Amino acid sequence: MAQQPRLVEDHIRKNKRDTVIICMMMVILLFSIIFAIGLLFGAPPILTMMIGLPIALFYIFITYSFSVQSVISAARARPANPQNRDEKLLIYKVEEMSLAAGLPTPKVYVQESKDINAFATGHKPEDSIICATTGAIQQLNTEELEGVIGHEMSHIQNRDILVMTVTVGVVGAIALLAEIAVRMLFFSAVGGGGGKKNQGNIIIIIIAVIFIILAPIFSRLTYLAISRRREYLADANGAYLTRNPEGLAKALEKIKADVPNDPKGSKTVAPLYIANPFKRALRESIWSTHPPIDERIRRLRSM
Amino acid sequence: MDLLTWVIILLIILIIAIILLVFWGIYNRIIRAENQIDNSWAQIDVQMKRRADLIPNLMETVKGYMNHERGTMESVTNARAAIMSAKTPQQSNDANNMLTGALKTLFAVAENYPDLKANQNFLQLQDELTHTEDKIAYSRQHYNDSVLRYNNTIETFPGNFFAHRMGRKAREMLQIPEASKEVPKVSF
Repeated sequence: MAQQPRLVEDHIRKNKRDTVIICMMMVILLFSIIFAIGLLFGAPPILTMMIGLPIALFYIFITYSFSVQSVISAARARPANPQNRDEKLLIYKVEEMSLAAGLPTPKVYVQESKDINAFATGHKPEDSIICATTGAIQQLNTEELEGVIGHEMSHIQNRDILVMTVTVGVVGAIALLAEIAVRMLFFSAVGGGGGKKNQGNIIIIIIAVIFIILAPIFSRLTYLAISRRREYLADANGAYLTRNPEGLAKALEKIKADVPNDPKGSKTVAPLYIANPFKRALRESIWSTHPPIDERIRRLRSM
Repeated sequence: MDLLTWVIILLIILIIAIILLVFWGIYNRIIRAENQIDNSWAQIDVQMKRRADLIPNLMETVKGYMNHERGTMESVTNARAAIMSAKTPQQSNDANNMLTGALKTLFAVAENYPDLKANQNFLQLQDELTHTEDKIAYSRQHYNDSVLRYNNTIETFPGNFFAHRMGRKAREMLQIPEASKEVPKVSF
C-alpha cells in the first residue's frame, strides 16, 4: 500500500513530461510552416510572422472560446436529474471525486446513449462539466463508475481540456495556413511569373512545398499522440484519486465488451471521451485518439 | 571607477535578485501548501458535521420499525453525541470512526426489516449517509495528499533551508483505520 501511490506518481510524471515535449514539437511545427510560407513567397520572415501568427492565434482563440457550448450541444447532453436515483448517485460520485482531487465540484450532465462512455469539458476547473452516458450509469457498478469519474476528474485536474482544445486549434491553424499557401502557390505557378529564380532557390522551394503539404499530416499525428498520452495520464491520475486502479480497469473491460452502436456528438471531441465513441482501437495505431483498451487495462493492473 | 568594478557590482545585484526570487517562490509554495492543508481539514469537518446532522432524521425514520434493536440505535446516537462534543481533531476523528461502525451495524440489521427497506425516506437517507461516508474518506485522503505535498516541500532542498528558518515543521498525516475505508456494503 505504501509504495503504490509512488508508482502511480511516476506514471504521472512521465506522461506529463511526454506531453510537454509533444506540445513543443507542435509549436515548432507551427513556426516552421509560417517560415516556409515566407520563404516561398520571398517575404521577410518578420513580415510573415506578423501576418501568420495573428491568424493562428485568432483561430486558437475562437476554438477555445466556443469549445464548451459546442461540445455539450454536439453531445446533446442535459443536466443530471437528482430525482432519478441512478443520476443522483452519479452526482454523488462526482462530488466525492472532486473532494479527492481538491477541486470545485463540476456540473454533472447526462447523455442519452446506450453506449458506456463519459467525457469532461470546461475551460478551467471552476466551470468544468462531467458528462456520463445513460448506458454508463446503468451498466457500471459503483466501483467502476468511480473509476470512470476519477479518470474524467483527472482530465480536469491536468487541464487536458485546455491542452486538447488548444492543440485542436493549432492543428486547425496549420491546416488553414497550408491550404492558403498551396492555393497561392498554385495561382502564382499558373501566372508563371518566376523568371528570375535560380537553381539553388528551386531546391529550397521544393523542400518548402513538400513541407507545407506534409505539415498538416504531421500536426494531426502529433495531436493524436498528445491525446493518447493524456489518456494514459488520466488513467494513472484517476487511479491515484480513487486509490483503486481495479475499478477503472473493470470499467474499461465492460467498455471493451460493449461495441459502440449509438454514438452521438462530433468527432472533433472524441479525444475528450474516456473511450472513442466511434470506434475501438484494439491495436497500437498512430491514427487513433485513444490507446488500445487492453494496454490501458494492463497498465492499470500493473500499478 | 573602472569596468571591472561595475561588472562585479552588477553581478552581486544579480545574485541577490536571484536569491530573493527563489526565496519568494519557495515562501509562497510553503504558504500555499499550508493553506491547502487547512482547507482540506475544513472539508473533513464540514462532511462530519453534515453526517451528524443526518442522524436524527435517520433515527426518526428507523424508530417505528426497529423497536427491538435498542442497542444498535443507542450506539449510533452515542457516536453522534461524541462527534458533537469532540474538542480535538483526534477526538472528532475517533468519534467519527465510531459512528461509521455503528451505522454499518444498523444498516446490516435493517436487512431483517423488509418494511423499513421499502421506506423511500430510509433509502434516501441510506444513500446520503453512504455518500457522506465516502466524502469523509476522500476528504481525509486529500488531507493526507496535501500533508504529503507540504512535507515534501519543506523537507527537500531548497525548501528545507527556508522552512527551518520560517519555523515550519513536518505535519502529521491522519491515521485512517482500515475498516473505515470500506464502504458499508448494503445490498437490496
